[in-house]
Amino acid sequence: MIKVADLHFKYGNIDLEVLRGLSFSIEKGEFVALIGQNGAGKTTLLKQFNALLKPTGGSVQIAGLDTGKSTTGELARKVGFLFQNPDHQIFMPTVFKEIGFGPKNLHLSKAEIDHRVEEAAEAVGLSAFLGQNPLLLSKGQRQRVAFASVLSMKPEILVLDEPTTGQDYQEGIEIMEMVLKLNQLGHTIVFVTHDMELVATYAKRVIVLSHGRVLLDDSCRNVFYHPEILRQTNLFPPQIARLAQMFAQKPALFSRPLTVEEIYHEILNLPESTPNVCCS
Amino acid sequence: MSVVANYIPRDSFVHRLSPLTKLFWSFLLMTLSCFFRDPVVLAGLFLSIVLVALAAGILKEMFPVFKGLLFIAGLFILFQIFFITDGRTIFTLIPGTGIGRVTDIGLTGCLAMGARMIVIAASFPILMGTTQIKDLVVVLVEKLKIPYPYAFMFVTSLRFVPTFMQEMDQIIQAQSSRAHRLDNKNFVKRFLSICPLAIPLMVTSVKKAERMAISMETRGFGVGKRTNLHTKEFRTVDTAVCSTLLLLGVAALALHFKGILM
Repeated sequence: MIKVADLHFKYGNIDLEVLRGLSFSIEKGEFVALIGQNGAGKTTLLKQFNALLKPTGGSVQIAGLDTGKSTTGELARKVGFLFQNPDHQIFMPTVFKEIGFGPKNLHLSKAEIDHRVEEAAEAVGLSAFLGQNPLLLSKGQRQRVAFASVLSMKPEILVLDEPTTGQDYQEGIEIMEMVLKLNQLGHTIVFVTHDMELVATYAKRVIVLSHGRVLLDDSCRNVFYHPEILRQTNLFPPQIARLAQMFAQKPALFSRPLTVEEIYHEILNLPESTPNVCCS
Repeated sequence: MSVVANYIPRDSFVHRLSPLTKLFWSFLLMTLSCFFRDPVVLAGLFLSIVLVALAAGILKEMFPVFKGLLFIAGLFILFQIFFITDGRTIFTLIPGTGIGRVTDIGLTGCLAMGARMIVIAASFPILMGTTQIKDLVVVLVEKLKIPYPYAFMFVTSLRFVPTFMQEMDQIIQAQSSRAHRLDNKNFVKRFLSICPLAIPLMVTSVKKAERMAISMETRGFGVGKRTNLHTKEFRTVDTAVCSTLLLLGVAALALHFKGILM
């Protein structure tokens, strides 16, 4: 679905390369998290997926289309991009029109646009707000409007740049649950976040970027159980993984849990003869 | 165009001059360009601006600005030139119909207007590129006795130009991702396609201004008399440069009124 081959990129006349020879593939239906410290090149890489930025070396292919030779508009049917700040896109007088802006640009029929808007609004829980001015909604609701406006274009690939920024815990979880549902329906998901708990809960695969290069590309569990490599790029595994790693220094108690639920079930299954390692 | 109001650090003679000297230079150029009507003379004034940019070591950074100004001047000329009917016809776009007639007076007048616009606008980015904003504020407040809130408002509006450019870039990216086209061939559609960019820019700008006002007030803006940690001195070299500029300006105007430089 996404094929990145020896991708290089630098901004304008600045000599410093932001992306320095990245190569990887993402298959249809994968749920991938891109993590790394600030300035690692995460957002720059995301913007390559819908030709907002074009490679200065190597190539990016999206479902067989070379982004170097395609426009963002052409790729909009395949790649939906959710930006960090919803205020960069909201301009219509009603939520309905705002969600319908993308499908309208795709020259769909009025009936199809109406259907897609209602479907997308329902998916994000905004059906009751369709007649309201999106600028008067809360930040969390505006982010949902932005999300619905991406969904209404029915892209095969969803690219999310820190989708939970500025949301409270519950709102963040709700957005990620919607993303998970889409992934279960076969959409390919790539998201950037600094929230490692979120990565541990939702991502199946993690790509760690550091100074424009891929530092690690593995399953979520394998990545978070390499703390020494993560530390090179100022990342720390989620708290549960760190706790389990602390216990691993004693007689290994746990397999490799990542979430509260996983460690809870492991604790329930501990044999009764387990030594009291916490206080020994 | 993001360099329009950005300071470009260099160790040059122009950078070391007092902001007041550079303001005087900019004001003199504007005054002279209002008097002259000959496109060649105005082009000469523009050349002097390019030479100052070269002396300041910021010519490379100024190229996009000059290119943008030339483009706007070109549009300006194009919108005017066909509507001036006085003078001798040089050529018509559709021969025999009189449609798209260009006259000698129209051509000279439009070229002069375009060149004047470039001269008036071009000195400003060089002033901003070679002067730190804090120095400019100090000069405006201490030397020109402009009330601090006004001076602050002026320089802040300049400071925000590159920020708004970045903001606009983000907005264009967000709307392009929703298959919004800006390159429509139909002029009306092209004009209307600005709405999805203009409204978010306006909204984010107002929010930014509000946040900034709150942040300034919480740090005591507008409470009592202000003092400055650094002042920018007006040195002998500034007096020399201003005197030379004044002499050149007076000489140019004298030649103009004698009918030698038009």
